[in-house]
Amino acid sequence: MLRRLIPSIVQIRGVKQLVDTKWVRPEYVPAYKPERSGDLEGLPVIPPSALPEEYALSEEIKNASEAVKQIFSIEHRGKKEYNKLVKKELINRIRRHQYDENTAETRIARITGHIRCLQDTLEKFPRNVQAKKTAQELIDKRKKLLKFLRQYDYKKFEWLLEKLNIVYKAHPESLHKLSRKESLRKLTEMHCEEIRQGKLTEYRNLLESQQGPFLKDKIDALKLIRSEQIELQLPITVTEQDIKKVEQQFEEWKIKDDLKQQARKKKKNLLLE
Amino acid sequence: MARNVAETARKFLLLGQCVPTVKQNATKIRVKRLELDENLLMYFRKDEFYYCHDPVKKCKTGDIVLIQALPHKMTKLITHEIKEVVYPFGDITDPVTGKKVAKSQYREDMEKQAEIYGKLDSGFDYDKAPQRGWQDGKKDFTSKPTYTKFHVFDEEDPYAV
Repeated sequence: MLRRLIPSIVQIRGVKQLVDTKWVRPEYVPAYKPERSGDLEGLPVIPPSALPEEYALSEEIKNASEAVKQIFSIEHRGKKEYNKLVKKELINRIRRHQYDENTAETRIARITGHIRCLQDTLEKFPRNVQAKKTAQELIDKRKKLLKFLRQYDYKKFEWLLEKLNIVYKAHPESLHKLSRKESLRKLTEMHCEEIRQGKLTEYRNLLESQQGPFLKDKIDALKLIRSEQIELQLPITVTEQDIKKVEQQFEEWKIKDDLKQQARKKKKNLLLE
Repeated sequence: MARNVAETARKFLLLGQCVPTVKQNATKIRVKRLELDENLLMYFRKDEFYYCHDPVKKCKTGDIVLIQALPHKMTKLITHEIKEVVYPFGDITDPVTGKKVAKSQYREDMEKQAEIYGKLDSGFDYDKAPQRGWQDGKKDFTSKPTYTKFHVFDEEDPYAV
């Protein structure tokens, strides 16, 4: 009985509710998806009437009839032949020479082509576990190759990202499962930082608004002191330069203040609209 | 005596590597050291991190730099300044011959090889390539540390993985 009553009388768990932020858990996105793997581009456009690599060079097929050409085209040869053409297209973008097959950039291009083909199949058949596994492995491998390329040739790395349309993100410091506690802690920290910054800017604005009147008084006072000193023939401690300096400061403050007030007016107008 | 030692120690240059930070006018430098474990009589790696004043962002992530302590601490965090960028990341020059290198090959040799096989326009040209950093924040997200995505914000941060 007592145990049940205590929490209702003395609020123990209410501490968490002091911060007015609602946590939304990010939705799970499979690693093979383009937004996770970093592919900004889908499959290249290849017409269904295109011929596979082996037959494209043949003399006989050039003179063959339309029906024969159609039978030998990738439309009838299956997905495998199509995928080969995709890989070839990507490699051709970055090829150094005709026989360039095993350099870092061609390997990355070939893997990229393979990944994009697998992503296409996984869109249709998300339960294809073998394809999912292969895609994951290839994505990791490509990331590793990109990491190495970045280490020894940064210019080429950037050029390759642009050519193949890949996004590269470095590994996070720690890879761990997301927890509610950690997320709430981070959100609270951000909230506190926001409050702190708000208070600081407010105080700064207050001090800056007081600068103008102060400078005005200072100019008057300096002028008065100088005139009095001249009148009473005392040693002059305030030079003309000093007064000029303060006047300059005052004008600078005026310009800044005008800009600030304009910005404030704009904000007000936006709010009214 | 002790004061002199401390002062001279402060003048020492340290060699470190630049690591990603969110700070805007400073860079974070990692200095690797070996520390003796007296029980095992073995050396273990120990990393020390220094924040260096760098308003123009002279060094980028991965660069090997020389740093020196400032005469006075600038802020609570920033204690050092950057003296010199010794090795820019991913742009290696062979110290013996003074030629540019990519991994185990000279760039010249790679060019020659491509010319013998029949050079294509699609290949990468080092002369036309812009300086490092033109993809920073567009496709190359390495200048700031990445982290696990923990909340759905209105604006998505590209550094959240």
